[in-house]
Amino acid sequence: MDFAVADRLQFAFTIMFHYLFPIGTMGLAPFIAWWVVKAWRTGDAHADRAAMFWTKIFSVNFAAGVVTGIPMEFQFGTNWAPFSAKTGSVIGQPLAMEGVYAFFLESVFLGILLAGRRRVSPALYAASAIAVWLGSWLSGFFIVATDAWMQHPVGYALGPHGTIELKSLAAVLLSPFAWWQYLHVMTAAILAGALILTGTGAWYLLDRREGEYARRFLRIGLIVGLVASLAVIFPTGDRNSADVTKYQPVKLAAMEGLFHSEQHAALAIIGMPDTRHQELIDPIFVPSILSYLAYGNFDANVKGLSAYARTEWPPVELTYYAYHVMVGLGTIFVALMLLGVFLLRQGSLFRARWFLWALLLATPFPYVANEAGWVVTEVGRQPWIVYGLIRTTDAASTNVAAGETIFTLIGFLGMYFLIGALFLLLTLREIGIGPSGGHGASSTYEASPAEADA
Amino acid sequence: MSLLGFIVVAAMLTMYVLTDGYDLGVASVAPLVTRSGRERAAAMESIGPFWSGNEVWLVAAGGVLFALFPKAYACAFSGFYLPFMLVLWLLMFRGIALELRNHFTNDIWRDFWDAAFSLSSLLLIVLFGVAIGNLIRGVPLDADGYFTGTFAFLLNPYALGVALLAVTTLAQHGLMFLMMRIDGPPAERARRTALRLWPALVALYLLVTIATFAVQPRIFDRGIAGIVLVPILALAALAITRREILHGRALRAFLGSSAFIAMLLIAAAATMYPYLLLAYPAGTGGLTIDAAKPSALALATIIPIILAGLLIVVVYTSFVVRRMEGKIVLSVEGRSP
Repeated sequence: MDFAVADRLQFAFTIMFHYLFPIGTMGLAPFIAWWVVKAWRTGDAHADRAAMFWTKIFSVNFAAGVVTGIPMEFQFGTNWAPFSAKTGSVIGQPLAMEGVYAFFLESVFLGILLAGRRRVSPALYAASAIAVWLGSWLSGFFIVATDAWMQHPVGYALGPHGTIELKSLAAVLLSPFAWWQYLHVMTAAILAGALILTGTGAWYLLDRREGEYARRFLRIGLIVGLVASLAVIFPTGDRNSADVTKYQPVKLAAMEGLFHSEQHAALAIIGMPDTRHQELIDPIFVPSILSYLAYGNFDANVKGLSAYARTEWPPVELTYYAYHVMVGLGTIFVALMLLGVFLLRQGSLFRARWFLWALLLATPFPYVANEAGWVVTEVGRQPWIVYGLIRTTDAASTNVAAGETIFTLIGFLGMYFLIGALFLLLTLREIGIGPSGGHGASSTYEASPAEADA
Repeated sequence: MSLLGFIVVAAMLTMYVLTDGYDLGVASVAPLVTRSGRERAAAMESIGPFWSGNEVWLVAAGGVLFALFPKAYACAFSGFYLPFMLVLWLLMFRGIALELRNHFTNDIWRDFWDAAFSLSSLLLIVLFGVAIGNLIRGVPLDADGYFTGTFAFLLNPYALGVALLAVTTLAQHGLMFLMMRIDGPPAERARRTALRLWPALVALYLLVTIATFAVQPRIFDRGIAGIVLVPILALAALAITRREILHGRALRAFLGSSAFIAMLLIAAAATMYPYLLLAYPAGTGGLTIDAAKPSALALATIIPIILAGLLIVVVYTSFVVRRMEGKIVLSVEGRSP
């Protein structure tokens, strides 16, 4: 096997697995902060318990995120040494800032949330919940800024020996490409958080327990979820696509499965791309819509894949399917949230068991949509690692053989299986205990001596 | 500027060793100082809330090394691919083991994961020790600064000696932490174990120091400070640690042990400067900070940002520790039978 292929496989696996946990932390942090602040301002005991309950689940996500994040922090060096040596001047900056500004903020104040409830003032406790939220979202920003630079490099100058040197950190961090991508990623994370809440609430109501909490989770989850599901599409998703259209037109063609340049380009709702015959198999088209979506004009000419050399194409099938899975799920989420808010206003939501089932079963799908979105972004960026500047094949470590990478990939598979199983066990156990259980215990660790005594 | 960068990286790695060092140490010594499942549970709980936060120092140091010395980041981690992956796996595995033992109460289950936790932590210390030993001794490098040796090369007697010193040092560090955080018989056993360990630690330190003079003559370039002052300060820190253990002042003993660790790492960093990777055999150069740094503009941009960020971290961390401190003692007392 080509060593760069092995490196890509390993990176894809480790980053996709890692990203499952930031979805949970970034998506749940604002809800936790909301409940902690509400409990502080109004003395609402249910809000207080809801915050404690989700903080425990947050902490499981956080620990799994740290553990699977350590390889990410070093993998640029281990498997992508030429890339790191050439671009470290630029992308080292946001990565260092993430370490110093975001990680500590999140971990130190999570310590207070977990173990400090009876030790610090309610005001400091509330501030800690906000700090944890801020930390997790800052972390997301620095990572997205790094990725956005690889998609659309700005603020750099070419240095000696093919290195890329920083010219302006402000240009890197304030790049509009980065900000729209960031807002898209964050609204998608909130949507995931909202669906975790509604899924859990639905489960409790179906199970006929934790009624008060279940109704709260459903109410806030549906309202926030509706806003987020709309914001994921417009303006954030729309602006993101506009940037892709402008700066990465080949990626756009692959996402849409558009093989030939067309005026009045049709939007493919479904269909399977056939790269040999350069057409979609069994497609359903909506005429002229793609031209409109890409350029705001039904007559616009959209360039197809055949307008570019094959060596410039990303892997078409993966990009196409990931994009369609993301967009399809995004549309379903809007419908689900609309229906949920309608039932909520009508007052029949909590009795509509069929709809609670739908919410319960929907819980894993924001994860699928989030991951699919990243696949579009990263696979669609190929064959470049830094768009237009460095090819992925020139970026992998030449001193690490494919065999070594495959060996460690197998190791990661085993290790991550354990982490995944543990994560599910702990999360489901907390959900099993429920927000009104675990009386008086303010953290997993404070709870365990009692267990040991028992 | 690049000297400042070198100091920042060294300081962050030192913070990593000081913080994750005590939880690695507690894990390694837990089988020695605990007799019952309950005592072991208390030992594990004392580090339960902290280990993942401590590992943040390592992750943050990785990001900072990437920004300040991208070439060294690329060379070191791709060069030491396999050992480095072993470190990553052990870091993950011990986290998994600790969480698994904490969340389920079956005895056999706990015995297994406790053993796994202690063993993986011990191995990690050995690997970190081997790494530091090789960084000081130097490794075969090609013209670009990439490692060209084998795994077997890294397991040389000097590096293994440093590993043994690392195990003993962090064992003491963990014992001091235990004395500070738990009470009852395990705390007393930790005290006695530390006193018994102390002569071995002094002897190992002296042996490794003498061996360092032999394998890395660069240390003589540091003059009196390198040859006399640092060892005297390190031994003084050890002496203070012993005195505080005898007086039963756990916090001070922990600080003494921390000072000793800091001296060891300062000595290692001073020996290496201005190299980030020393070549083997000694005296054949290596990868210098100037060869590994990015453009002057990049360095001038990020260093103030990192320093300001670390200052903010120190401010809020010390604030949080003060707020949390008083009552941690209460909850520790509340735990006694």
